[in-house]
Amino acid sequence: MRIFFVIFCLFPVYPAYAVSLPNYEITITDGKFCPEKIEVPAGQRFKITVRNTGIGPAEFENLSLRVEKVLGPNIESFVVIHPLKPGTYHFIDEFHTDMTGFDIIAKEQ
Amino acid sequence: MQAPLFIVWRESVEALLVVGILYAWLKRENLTSQINQLWIGAGLGFLLAGILAIAFWIAGQWFSGPGGEWFFTFTMMSASILILQMITWMHRHGSSMKKQLEMEVARSMTRSGSFGIMILTMIAIAREGSETVVFLAGIGLQQQGTSLGLFILGGMTGFGLAVFTFVLLQKFSGIISWKWYFRISEFVLLLIGGAMMVNAFDKAASQLSVYDLPEWIYSFMDSPLWSTQWLLPDNNMLVSLTGYHANPSLMQTGILVLYWATAIILCSSGSRKNRKQKNMTERSPQAV
Repeated sequence: MRIFFVIFCLFPVYPAYAVSLPNYEITITDGKFCPEKIEVPAGQRFKITVRNTGIGPAEFENLSLRVEKVLGPNIESFVVIHPLKPGTYHFIDEFHTDMTGFDIIAKEQ
Repeated sequence: MQAPLFIVWRESVEALLVVGILYAWLKRENLTSQINQLWIGAGLGFLLAGILAIAFWIAGQWFSGPGGEWFFTFTMMSASILILQMITWMHRHGSSMKKQLEMEVARSMTRSGSFGIMILTMIAIAREGSETVVFLAGIGLQQQGTSLGLFILGGMTGFGLAVFTFVLLQKFSGIISWKWYFRISEFVLLLIGGAMMVNAFDKAASQLSVYDLPEWIYSFMDSPLWSTQWLLPDNNMLVSLTGYHANPSLMQTGILVLYWATAIILCSSGSRKNRKQKNMTERSPQAV
């Protein structure tokens, strides 16, 4: 356990630069996503930049992709999504579960 | 009304289980000073939750960025390790302290145990509590008039429900036998501890994903080993209480296995020591 811990602590130091990943920008406004879905190529790592433009906080979440990000109003952050198999991946705003949410559609190229 | 009710209850379950189990156990063992530590920890936890929530509103960018993610990664790891320590402590306590053997050891164990109890309670409450406060404050701001009233009512009912769960837990500990209570609570604590460790590594892994790492590390962190999606899909409560993932990676499975293996090794060495001490006391009258 401790070995893992040490290895993981070293990572942020070792490659001190971020790769330029394909980026998709979305906004959440009190539970409403814009755009409501994006299409991405399957099998490729990519980045989603999320901005909360609502008046309350939002939580961008998809448990199986282990994305769980709480955003205060007017806060922007990003998540990196690992290579996906073709299919649809549904995201929700945990704080507005009554809304439709957001889909990532991964397509074979 | 349902949203705040459910959120407050759901977010408090984890902290409730940790605090409730420890409390029932300490009460049964009659460890008054540790119970005080538990309440101090709980108080500090609520305070810290409030501070964190305020910090979230003031320094939201930092909390949502890598800084905040690493912060929660390390608090979760600490809580998870503290649970391991707590379990070992509970195990060793059984015969060595109650029977007043080796007073010096007992005293130092009491001290480290108390401190662990305080910190664990504090982290358990602060972590879940801060998110609840952010959520409630956020939604509350958007409500007015009747709906605000309903909202407050929902939140209060949620809290009431949480307290009710706590009371139920205490009643439950009185009904079943000591041995079984101990086993079940140990199991539940380890489940939560393992889940926290997995979630901490998940958080770390998603932070590391930004960097250009060798492919094998990515597949270690991300590639699913198997899928039980058809049987039981990922679910919020399940993930946070047990560390269950429908499509687990080698990292997630490995950590859970390591965590439980460590727990089992620590516990069995703890009981072995107990047995040794017991044998010694049984033998000593003959020697005299």
